[in-house]
Amino acid sequence: MKMAVQGIRTGALVTVAFAAMIGLTRADDFKLEPVQVGEPQRIEVFPPAIKLNGVREQMQIVVTGFYPDGSVQDLTRAAEFASSNAEVFNLKGSVAHPKADGSADLKVSVGGQEASVAVSVANQGAPQPVSFEYGTLAALSKQGCNAGACHGSPSGKGGFRLSLRAFDPELDKLTLIHEDFGRRTNSIEPAESLLLLKPLMKVPHGGGLKIHANDSAYEVIRDWISEGCNLDPPEQPRVVKLEVYPPSGRLLKRPAHTQQLAVLAHYADGSVRDVTELAVYSSSDEAVASITENGLVVGKDRGESAVIVRFMEFIESSFVTFVRDIEGFAWNNPPINNYIDEAVDAKLQQLKFLPSSVCTDEEFIRRVYLDVIGILPTIAETQQFFADTSADKRAKLIDQLLERPEFAKFWTLKWGDLLRLTSKQVGDDGVYKYHRWVERAIETNMPYDQFARELLTASGSTHLNPPANFYRTATDTNDCVETISQVFLGARLQCAKCHNHPFERWSQDNYYGMAAFFNRVQRKNTPKPDETFIWVSSSGEVTQPRTGKQMKPWLPGDGDVEKADVDDRRGIFAEWLTRPDNPFFAKIEANRIWSHLFGRGIVDPPDDFRDSNPPSNAALLEALSADFVKSGFDRKHVIRTILNSRTYQSSFEPNDFNKDDTKYFSHYQPRLLSAEQLLDAICDVTAVPEKFGSLPPTTRATQLPAPDLVKHEFLKIFGQPERQTVCQCERSSESNLGMAIQFFNGPLIYNKLRDGNNRFRQLLNEQKADQEIITQLHFAAVNRPPTEKELAATMKHISSKDEQIAQHNTETDAKIVAMNKAIADMRRTFEVKLFDTKLQAIPETLRADVKAALAAEEGKRSEVQKYLVEKLGASLAVSADEVTNALDEEAKKMVADSTAQIAELEKQKQALGSRRIEALEDVCWALLNTNEFLFQH
Amino acid sequence: MHRTTSLLSLAFTLSIGVAATADEPVSFRKDLAPILLDKCLACHGPKKAEGGLRVDSFERVTKEGDSGSPGFTANDLDLSEAFRRMASDDADERMPAEADALPAEQLALFKRWIEEGAKYDGDDPTADLITIVPAPTHPEAPATYRYAVPVAAVVFSHDGKELIAGGYHELTVWNPVDGTLIRRIKNVGQRTRALSLSPDGKLLAVGCGAPGRLGETRVIDMATGEIVNVLGTTSDEMLDVAFSPQGDRLAVGAADGAIRVFEIPSGKEQLSITSHSDWVTALAWNADATKLVSGSRDKTAKVFDAKTGELLVTYSGHGEAVKGVAFHPENNDVFSAGTDKKIHRWQISDAKKTADVAFGGEVFKLPLSGEFLFASSADKTVRQFEAKTQKQLKSFAGHQDWALSVAYHAETKRVASGGFDGRVRVWNVDDGKEVASFFAAPGYETAAK
Repeated sequence: MKMAVQGIRTGALVTVAFAAMIGLTRADDFKLEPVQVGEPQRIEVFPPAIKLNGVREQMQIVVTGFYPDGSVQDLTRAAEFASSNAEVFNLKGSVAHPKADGSADLKVSVGGQEASVAVSVANQGAPQPVSFEYGTLAALSKQGCNAGACHGSPSGKGGFRLSLRAFDPELDKLTLIHEDFGRRTNSIEPAESLLLLKPLMKVPHGGGLKIHANDSAYEVIRDWISEGCNLDPPEQPRVVKLEVYPPSGRLLKRPAHTQQLAVLAHYADGSVRDVTELAVYSSSDEAVASITENGLVVGKDRGESAVIVRFMEFIESSFVTFVRDIEGFAWNNPPINNYIDEAVDAKLQQLKFLPSSVCTDEEFIRRVYLDVIGILPTIAETQQFFADTSADKRAKLIDQLLERPEFAKFWTLKWGDLLRLTSKQVGDDGVYKYHRWVERAIETNMPYDQFARELLTASGSTHLNPPANFYRTATDTNDCVETISQVFLGARLQCAKCHNHPFERWSQDNYYGMAAFFNRVQRKNTPKPDETFIWVSSSGEVTQPRTGKQMKPWLPGDGDVEKADVDDRRGIFAEWLTRPDNPFFAKIEANRIWSHLFGRGIVDPPDDFRDSNPPSNAALLEALSADFVKSGFDRKHVIRTILNSRTYQSSFEPNDFNKDDTKYFSHYQPRLLSAEQLLDAICDVTAVPEKFGSLPPTTRATQLPAPDLVKHEFLKIFGQPERQTVCQCERSSESNLGMAIQFFNGPLIYNKLRDGNNRFRQLLNEQKADQEIITQLHFAAVNRPPTEKELAATMKHISSKDEQIAQHNTETDAKIVAMNKAIADMRRTFEVKLFDTKLQAIPETLRADVKAALAAEEGKRSEVQKYLVEKLGASLAVSADEVTNALDEEAKKMVADSTAQIAELEKQKQALGSRRIEALEDVCWALLNTNEFLFQH
Repeated sequence: MHRTTSLLSLAFTLSIGVAATADEPVSFRKDLAPILLDKCLACHGPKKAEGGLRVDSFERVTKEGDSGSPGFTANDLDLSEAFRRMASDDADERMPAEADALPAEQLALFKRWIEEGAKYDGDDPTADLITIVPAPTHPEAPATYRYAVPVAAVVFSHDGKELIAGGYHELTVWNPVDGTLIRRIKNVGQRTRALSLSPDGKLLAVGCGAPGRLGETRVIDMATGEIVNVLGTTSDEMLDVAFSPQGDRLAVGAADGAIRVFEIPSGKEQLSITSHSDWVTALAWNADATKLVSGSRDKTAKVFDAKTGELLVTYSGHGEAVKGVAFHPENNDVFSAGTDKKIHRWQISDAKKTADVAFGGEVFKLPLSGEFLFASSADKTVRQFEAKTQKQLKSFAGHQDWALSVAYHAETKRVASGGFDGRVRVWNVDDGKEVASFFAAPGYETAAK
């Protein structure tokens, strides 16, 4: 059996994000395909009208071609642009620049199509000062100066500190203008400003070359300095909206693979400015697409990428899909079990990945048992399933499993991780009560909205009302905000505690606005051991630490809650959270369930929802969460629906048309069993259960209430989380050397293989044949009979043990013979000596004759010789005892040692078949070390 | 987009221009070091050593880089990797990277110098290039200022009739009573951070430089405005200068973290103290010049034995950059102030704080004059204290921006202060009334109007 195990993914997202932010990408870094214009049916020019209201204004133009076959492509790179009056405005590439007040037309022609756009130019006689925030700070952000790894780090770099991504203009004003006697700017000779000399590398700069003299950002900063480093007048209109053209949904097919963006800032006074050159771009998937500093999206591979556009505190994204023809690809109309397959297939068909075929029963039973109840099917269960010939046997099995008590226990383990269920945090008693509460909720299929409400609004004794432990693990207001946002909103909000989130729309105000729901929660220990009392005080407000402003409770999407005149504001939050139209709640949980079943979320990591980490199949996630809401937040329903889909039941074996896919669920992706699953599986295969401290002997690893109740070395090594954080990432899936050592020769497996009562010893005692034992072991470990080849190899291994025994016995016999001979030789010398002594008693004349007579063979003696032997033989005979008595010390020792060794060697001789048990240990060990056993697949 | 010619590089070019006629050998110090500093140091210096090559001293530039060939090798053009790369026709490997090639005449200087044996005409081959190049002649100040520059240093002349303020490539000298411009002292670094007048009033020490490029102390003859000496050149700004009360020594502190003490008038370096780990921002002598106190961006103030340079005590109580220091008149205590918006008074014996005075913004200069201590602050005030008791006597208001600098003249009882906005204000200490207020930027007010 072939196992295709993908490399284990690591959370390199942050690194990628940083890398993308530090170096700016220029168009000549890529090899661009020439635009194949063809014959567009019509072209469209964006924006439909151009107003250039000031000397610093410009406008990026985007030209789109529409084709008869329904396809669309960006023609900006190929289009010809002309100004009807170059005195009014002119063009540099696809960017319009104002010259003098007036009106003129922009003429665009490409592929035989023409379009005209009205351009009006005004205010060219008046100066247009550079804005500090929307000019200078935006330019510094563009060049990455205030990135987290550079001057935006909390302590700055090289004595120069900027606020991270310009979230604090007050601080930046101080640093750029006033600090250190104004050494960074020079309005008299702007080009001599340290702020420009450093990134130009005219003065040594630890960060290296970060700007070029022909960059827009350079011009903006230089002009701002030249104008005297002015701050923005208080009446200056604020940006209220960022618009990115084209909006999400553009699909480009090779050779079309580039898309020019236009980014417009909308101001409070209704004015609109092109900020394409000052916006900051990043791609959610650099393998799929990159974006140049001037907003040209360049597709590199098929797939989808979110283009994240940031301008000051505004973040917008636009999804672009890149497809291409794949030679030999033909859609094969795979079976559709439900809406999941429809959504998955739509994406696969678009990107030209072919789904793998439906998995075998062997794959299915193992996969579904491990995913639903966390343990392997028994041999009987497996064989019964194989024997079932009904068409709906998979659906029936799914239904059965969902009703088993192990289902609730196993899924409680997953929630235990998120709720930080440890005895350290909720007490030894609390941990059982809280665990039991979660288990009951899953067992009774408590609707998920009710589950969340009970947790979030819990009060009272943690013993009498176990969900109140939620506020025991979330120990303060900040912890509440971070826990709740990560678990229920899928947002990692920790960054926003100290500054606006660098990659997301969450601001520091949002963080403290959310805190205003939870700051009144009080916690007090009662006299009873391990019990905490949770209640809500009637007053208390949250102050934003940077601005000193008192915060109103704030809800994502809804904004400030004006009417929050209740003591306990948690109810308002819980009500909003569990509303059917809440944009986060259902999606996060549906995605989490998906990630449990596939080892990868549609959004992945599953608790990190953000524009820069888009779903790999948005329609799928939408459909799934809509179904979840419609079902009344029925988690079992969602699990059942997924399990019944063909997508879930796809084989793990990729085909030629999907082996590169890791995101779109074209085939099942194998993953290492979790620590607890693995331990339980080893116990089941060997039939030697594990004992967990004082917990009931039937407790399985997948059913442990908390990791710190019983510390287990093996579980730790295989990534059991300590439950210190609410991050799903705490459960490590990275493989390490410790794991290899455990499986190679670790004490846990060794002891189970040697256990006198383990599976194969029992079978051996029952006098089962080798083949029967081997088959049973395969069923237990990998839920199938051995293949012919496996059986032959295993049998050969057992019989090779007999060959070894035979060989060994032959060698032992030879040694014994040799040793006996040595003893005999030794005794012979003493016998000869004794005979010679006795011979002295015979008259000398007869001695030679007697000797010859005795030496002669009995039948061949002459009469004389016969006579001599008869007469003198008895007196000359030397008995064995005489020889033994005559031995000297050295000889005696030699005989004794040799005799003992011979006895030992005799013992070492084995009966054939006596080493079968060893062979079976080997077989079982080998099975436990196969990828097939170690990986969910 | 228009290009502004860099005045500073022009200055270097000028000093390069006057050098090396065909009959005298090429000078490394005068002819080549300025080119290396201007064109090569940014990528081949202590911050970035591209290709393993550094050019910040003669010794380094003649050492091997990653290519296995030294930058320059006597009499061997082929084994002079730096020369080979500067002379290369291949734009991908030519140095300086991503820039225009060196002018042919500069390249010819390097070639001739190598052929003449690549000799070093300085004293110490390990000395930083910036310290061995001849002091530059600074560009002219603007005839009229488009913008006023922050006045980080002011000082009264000996007789109190002149008030000297730091300008742009110059010092401007004003009548403190009516704010009229008396004269302009040229050939000064781009920005002036510190001024100290010798006790006899004859010499003026000017701590000046260009941010990130140059720091130096120019000693000026007050009578003529001529440069008498240029001392302690470094690669970033000179931040404070202080004559000893006896006038025979001058202490200077710079962005390289070093404190240097020179003998006056010879200019001989007596001490170099490298105890601070960041910019030295402030310096002061005690009355008998046995001790020196310094403040630094490394968040400490330190007292040294002024003869030996031995560190006597370190005060870390600010937890933020220290920007002003002074000795208490009885010499057992020190005042220090800075970004933590406080003046601390602490004991030299054990670095224990005994008192503090709070401000509304960070505190910059802290000059002691007789029985008075003055302070300038980002809270826009200048304050006068009784030095013995640090009791506040007066607060002089009027600045519309940070008060960066302050100076006092005892005989005329006037206090003057320079602001970040470029404005200088003069007050009478007795009645606290403002005497004069003007931009220390010739032509600026007229231009602004």
